[in-house]
Amino acid sequence: MSPHRLAGIGAVLGALGLWQLVGLAGAPDFILGPAEVARHFAAALASGELWPHIAASLGRSLPGFLLGSSLGIGLGLLAGVARGLDQMLSPVVFLTYPVPKIVMLPLFMLWFGIGDTSKVLIIALACFYPTFINAYSGARATPAILVWSALNMGARRPRIFWRVVVPGALPLIFAGLRVSLALSFILLFSTEMIAARSGLGFLIRQAESSLRFDLMYVAIVAIAGLGYASDRLLRAMRRRVLAWQDTG
Amino acid sequence: MMARLGWTRAVAGLRRVALPAAGLIGWELIARSGLLSPIIFPSLARIGRELAWLVVRPDALQDVGLSLYRALGGFALAAVVGVAIGVAMGRWPWLGRLLDPFLSGTYPIPKIALLPIFIFLFGIGSLSKVLLVFLECLYPVVINAAAGARAVNRVLVWSALNMGASRRRILWRVVVPAAAPYVFAGFRVALPIALIVVVITEMISSADGLGYLVIYSLSSLQTDRMLAAVVVIALLGLVLDRLLGWLRDRLVFWERLESYY
Repeated sequence: MSPHRLAGIGAVLGALGLWQLVGLAGAPDFILGPAEVARHFAAALASGELWPHIAASLGRSLPGFLLGSSLGIGLGLLAGVARGLDQMLSPVVFLTYPVPKIVMLPLFMLWFGIGDTSKVLIIALACFYPTFINAYSGARATPAILVWSALNMGARRPRIFWRVVVPGALPLIFAGLRVSLALSFILLFSTEMIAARSGLGFLIRQAESSLRFDLMYVAIVAIAGLGYASDRLLRAMRRRVLAWQDTG
Repeated sequence: MMARLGWTRAVAGLRRVALPAAGLIGWELIARSGLLSPIIFPSLARIGRELAWLVVRPDALQDVGLSLYRALGGFALAAVVGVAIGVAMGRWPWLGRLLDPFLSGTYPIPKIALLPIFIFLFGIGSLSKVLLVFLECLYPVVINAAAGARAVNRVLVWSALNMGASRRRILWRVVVPAAAPYVFAGFRVALPIALIVVVITEMISSADGLGYLVIYSLSSLQTDRMLAAVVVIALLGLVLDRLLGWLRDRLVFWERLESYY
């Protein structure tokens, strides 16, 4: 193990130790030490109390993430290569990009009901933007010389799109996916805190209002763990797909 | 030739406005068709009237001010602290090695999940919201500032040393300007996040601010007022982003961005 990694692990352990000390040194009820949180978390996993909420949350965030990012990647790549679509779509996307998408939630709730559809759609909307912008920039940044070479070797347009433009845009697409994934969890948490009857956000809200601090921490740790694990998964995928690229 | 060029430009201009125009016209047509209740689909005229009401009423302006204060307060705090930490991480490798695993480990965790704890710790008022905005904005700022401070051209630092500059002078005259484009890229990511977090926290637990106005109008079925508040939030996001872009072009004048994004 490199000293680099050791120092990092040491820093994380130090922070946990400090947190535990604060917990022991007579902090108020709502501060739980890491040992207690871990104990409650294991108990909640064993009793099966947590699983339905995790399933409900993933059932919202995953379809939303997949829908929004696939639309974003597809349209972004197309807008990157087709001028007509570019002129029509890109100004609208770039104009509405800095607008917080969560404000559409109440409207979506009116139109699509208070159930899962509105939540999935709002997550999809938020995930669309980073992937669109990255796929678009990636497709636009395709070196002209590669396209010329492909043309020269007799490749047709669809083939150039799939064999030159898409692979060239992949590193940026993965960067966009990573931002979208993080956003999907933020949106998941907020939609479930605002209006839901299940899921981790709902669990946090319920635990908070009944002063069940143990349950609150368990749900927060579960959301954090899901966010961390899915990010790792995406990075592992990136390493496989972009094996030809030599960055870490 | 000139006529052809003019024609291409006109088509480009038409395409540019096609989608927003179609959206607005479609919206108004659906709203006026009478198929849907005005509560579900208020007309643009009604939304416009509520927008005027928002601008005229002082307490509505106060909501705008509060949301802005929370978003910009947290953002400014994250900008100052984040740039300091990031530049330090870039200049002192041991600090970078110590903090890097910490940052990359906690980066994908949605910090907003800490909101309930923050409310218990810092109260339900502005403080918990500002601190949460600070925490969410800190990551992109630190990561970009560190990358910028690391990317400083060594030859520039050597030249400055050779010309007898002190460490302090090198930091301010070489490292900080060289990192500035990266730092602004981080700001560009952090600013919309600040607004998102403020609106979310105000929607979840607050008695004031624009996010609260949205939720309150929804639960009193004043959809036109809700949409007016949504328009204000959207405009705030746009204006803040443009302001930041303007500031960037002023301060980092030696490196222009080719496209706006």
